[in-house]
Formats: sequence, C-alpha cells, structure tokens
Amino acid sequence: MKIKRILALALAGAMTASLAACGGSGSSGSSSSTTAAAADSGAEAAAEDSGDGGSEAKKDKIAYVVGYLGDKSFNDSGEVGMNTLRSEGWEAKTIEVGDETKADKWEDSILDVIDEGYHYIVASSSYRDILLKLADEYPENQFVLFDDSLEADQIPENLAVIFYAQNEGSYMVGQLAAGMTETGVVAVNVGIDGPVIADFVTGFINGASDYDPDIKVVKATVGSWTEPAKMKELCLSQARDQQADVFYQVAGGSGGGLFEACKELGTWAIGVDSDQYEYYKNSENPELADVILTSMLKNVGDSLVSFFHSVEAGEDVWGKENHLGLKQNSVGYVDNEFFQENVPQEVRDKMAESQEKILAGEITVKSYYDFADEAEYQQYLDAVAP
Amino acid sequence: MFTLSWFASFGFSVLRLGTPLIFAGLAAVISKKAGMMNMALEGMMLCAALAGVIFAGFSGNVWVGLLGAVIVGCIVGWVIAFASLSGMTDLYLTCIAVNLAASGGTVFVMYVLTGEKSTTSAAIRAFTVPSINIPLIENIPLIGPMISGHNILTYLAFLSVFVVWMFLYRTRLGLRLRAVGENPDAAASVGINVKTVGYISFLISGILCGFGGAFMSMGWVSFFMKNMVNGRGYIGLSASNIADGNPVGSAIAAVFFGFCDATATTLKSQGGFPSEFIEMIPYGATIIALVVISSIRISRQRKIEKGTA
Repeated sequence: MKIKRILALALAGAMTASLAACGGSGSSGSSSSTTAAAADSGAEAAAEDSGDGGSEAKKDKIAYVVGYLGDKSFNDSGEVGMNTLRSEGWEAKTIEVGDETKADKWEDSILDVIDEGYHYIVASSSYRDILLKLADEYPENQFVLFDDSLEADQIPENLAVIFYAQNEGSYMVGQLAAGMTETGVVAVNVGIDGPVIADFVTGFINGASDYDPDIKVVKATVGSWTEPAKMKELCLSQARDQQADVFYQVAGGSGGGLFEACKELGTWAIGVDSDQYEYYKNSENPELADVILTSMLKNVGDSLVSFFHSVEAGEDVWGKENHLGLKQNSVGYVDNEFFQENVPQEVRDKMAESQEKILAGEITVKSYYDFADEAEYQQYLDAVAP
Repeated sequence: MFTLSWFASFGFSVLRLGTPLIFAGLAAVISKKAGMMNMALEGMMLCAALAGVIFAGFSGNVWVGLLGAVIVGCIVGWVIAFASLSGMTDLYLTCIAVNLAASGGTVFVMYVLTGEKSTTSAAIRAFTVPSINIPLIENIPLIGPMISGHNILTYLAFLSVFVVWMFLYRTRLGLRLRAVGENPDAAASVGINVKTVGYISFLISGILCGFGGAFMSMGWVSFFMKNMVNGRGYIGLSASNIADGNPVGSAIAAVFFGFCDATATTLKSQGGFPSEFIEMIPYGATIIALVVISSIRISRQRKIEKGTA
C-alpha cells in the first residue's frame, strides 16, 4: 500500500513537472534567473522614472517577448541581438510566453513585465494586437513591434514598427532558384499562410520570373510549423507531379522535412532566416547541409541592436514604420564556399547585378503589402503556377 | 500527369501516410476490445518517437532505437494502466493528462539531453529503419513500385493487422480480453483477472504506438520534432471506431485516411485550392465516414429487430 502511494505521488509529480515545462512560463527564460532577481530590486525605481526614457546615464530596461527560444531561426536570432545589447550594458529580459496554444496567456505575461518596470516591450507580429492595445493603455511605455507592417495612421506615438523587406531577400533567392532549375519549375513551401509569409512568396516569385519569364513556381502550405513529415511528402509530390527541382522553405520547423526530401530527390534546397547550411554542417547530420545552396537571411538580432542604437542616439524611430531591407543589410542571402562551388558564375553574376539594381533603386521588388486584396495575390500566384 | 508511374507513386504515398495510422488504429483496437477507450495514443506515439531517436542516436544502432521506442511506448501504457486501473482515476482525464504531459515532457527531455527545444535534426545523429525491396513483386508494373521499397515498419504495420487479429480471435488471452471488454463483471465471475487483462491491453497498445512513433521519427523523417505526431493518434482512434474495433476494418479505415491525406497533398501542390480547406479533408472524411458507418449499422440493427418482431 505504501509503495503504491509513493508511486502515485511520484507519477503526479512527474506529470506536473512536464506540464510546467510545456508552459515555458514567463520567468523561466534562459537568462532570467539573474535578471529577474535584479529586476525585483530595481523594479519600483524604474517604474517611477519611466517618464521620457533614454536619459544619458541610465538605459531603460528591455523585455523581449518571444514564443519560445530554441527555434535556431527567427526567435533565436532576436535573442542573439538581446545578448549583444546585454553586453553593451542594457538590461534586457527574455520572456518565453509559449506558442499559439498559450495565446490567451500572452497579454497577461506582457502585463506582468510592464508591471515589473520594463520600459521597452519588444515583440514580433504575432503579438501585434496586444501591443497596439497596451500601447494605448500604457502611454508611458514604448513598444517595438518587429517583423510587421502597419499603415502610418495606425501606429501610436509610443510604438515603433520594424519591417523587414523579406521580399527583397526572397527576390535574390528567387533569382538563384530560377538560375539553378533544370526543369523550369521551382517550389516555395510555407508553414502557415499569413501576410509576412506571403511577402516572402511574392518576392520569391518576382525574383524567379524576372530571371526567367517562363519560370513556373509551385507554392504550397504545410499547415503547421512543426510537421516535417507532411512537408517531406509535399515536396516528393511536387517533384513527382510538377517536376519541381529547387525548393525554398519558409516553414520554421517543418523545413527539416524539405531538406530531407531534397536529399532523397537529389535536388537543391534554399533555407530561410538564418544560415541553415552552417547550422547543419556543424551538426551531427552534416549530410543534410549538402542540399542547402544558400539561405535567405533575416538578421533580426542585428536589426534590434541597431534599432536600440538609434534609440540611444535619439533618432526619430517612434510612431512610424522603420523599413529594413537589402540596403540596411537586414535581409540578404548566404554567400559561402558551398554556394560559390555549386552555383555557376553566370547565375552569381546575375544575382549580384540584381542586388546592385535593388540597392540603386532601379528595381522595386513587389511586395505582398502592395496588393489591393487577397484575390490579387492569388492571381499573382496563379499566373506562375504550372 | 495520370500515368502508370503516377498512380504507382501515389499509391506508395498512400501506404506511407497510412502506416502510423494503422499502428495507432490497432493500438486503439486492442484497448477498445478490452473495454477501454485509449485517448492517449497521441502522447504514447510522441514519447516513442523521441525515445527512438534518442536510443538510436546514443547507441549508434537503429534497432536499439526501435526497441527503445517500443519500451517507452509500453512504459507510458503502463503509467496509464496503473493510474486508471490501480489508482482508479478517470481514464479519459488520465489520457488527456498523458497527452499534455507528453507534448511538454518530450520537449523538456529533448532540451535536457541536447539543449534544443524544437528538433533533434542537428543535435542527434539520425538513423532510419531501412527500406526493403520485395523480390519478384518489385518487377510487376504498377503494383511493384507501389508496394515494394517501403520502410520495414510499413510492412510491419500490415503484418501487425494479421497478428492483432490472430491474437484477438485465435488465442486464449485474446478471448479473455474480449470477454473483459464485453462484460468485466461476468469475466471476473469466471475467474479472469480483469485488472491484469487491462494492463496487458495497455502494454500491447504501447508496443504498437512504439512502432507508430518510431516510424514518424525514424522512417518517414529521420529526426524528432516537437508535436510531430500532429493528431495522427486521434485519427487512428477514429479509424478503430469506424470499424467498431475490428482490426482489419481499422486498417482499411487507416489506409483510407492515408488516401485522403495523399489526395490533400497532391491538391495542395496543384495550387488554386485554399490550403485551409484542403487541410480539412482528412478530418472531414473522418466525420463523414463515422456518420455513414453508423447509419449503416443502425439500419442493419432495425432490420434485425423487424425480423425478430
């Protein structure tokens, strides 16, 4: 009887522990144990003087709100930026608020950090509505909404929007895809549809069809960020039905399935957000890297660092959209040895030329945000579908 | 597009997509026949998927990984059995708790072991259970490329259908298990240990989920990713419900869901259809199939009643 009771207790304990782990609750961020302690002591003082922000001597505290760290991509890139800021003497706390299934807790978690005295709240487009609402309720605080686009009249004075021209980065890899394909069909597979993702797709199609007007682009949606199996199936079916032979993934965790499919098919893949060749080359499974020609880069971390440098310098960044593209080096593609080895000179020249033209403003890359409505975007997709 | 090789490749895809569903369906069948609804298939498969990758990666042997997956599947099954049979907790609540614990717990274990929170694709050396070509059959046009060259686990799935059927209908333990499922009190009155049979049913369920999970992370793709089972456990559960616990029927239903999935995948890459609608197809098909089957059953019941009246 006693043993049973102990076992039952142990079981209950194990369950609670794993439930807590899945919550990834607010204060358990990787960096937080030390910062949190510091926050407690300094919280009230900071809350008192959060008036104008950014006085010379004292830097206001930054809270970086993120679903979860460890995606080796978007979120982690932001964390790298936070680490740089920390080393420069900013007090930055990273709060992991959990993924979409915890969406009902997001606002509470953000309110908590505001109460703890954090002045700058940095979060991505997933938290747009919450930030807009809180910006209204907490005029003393300043909010940074990155990876999003808003109409100028929608942006409150205490909020700054950082927009990444993912269409420009995708334009470049679109050119590459069109240059590398032998069948004339390339594929772009995304995790879940949304405005930012559609902007990737728009730029990719634009780049590919500027390179070769006859190019066909297959676009498909996996329907999840964590479904590599279905992604693999999707790529295999695109290779079978449409003869696609270059695959571009904008699919977070599902993207791993695309690389596996390319390995199996012997086709090329293009990664996204961070240098995925580098990531796999130094991993336990280096052979996965050998299909990744390049990755479209989105330097979230660097952009956050330079954003806070501008804030420190007193530049006018608030109440408007800050557009970061190829010019600011916030998007781009990886130009490493593997890329140079496998991409013909001709294609690389063409890409360099296009990049020059974009930088000079001779080419304006199409953006999803230019389309009047979803139907127009759909037409754009249909026009290049095989 | 609709050439012979297209059909062969489509059929191949159906069988691959159906494999984890067959395992999950059979696992549900065993529990259902023992009178319980095992809603924790999802969590069991998820734990097994992670265990397979870890055991294979750290031992360097794919078969050790497969064994690890099966053992962990059993352990999770035992936990549920212990909680609900010995601890007298509510089975449904226990299963829900196990699913939630698995979705967080797998990430936790992965983080502790590898420092990754999303996937093991870079952190753990990948191993996959090999695929095999069947001699002779592989040379038959259409059929050959469709059923040859699959992962061993796919063949094991179909073999399991037969084994589970044999177990349920041709062994003494299977008979006892069904007796417990039909009427536990009557079974107990003739000296069957109801609790033991319940434990056994969850252990077998665990073995099957172990294979299903291992297929996800060591067959289909070669790494674990959080929540990678993505509802396949529930689909397997409904496959078993459609067939009313018949192993062969469940397998057919599972392959039917595989077919819906393959169709959805093909339609997706055609473009033109909204992907959210296509995403719905396998689940919509589940509901439709459940309604159709149950109305057939009702009308058959009525006929019988009329006949006797």
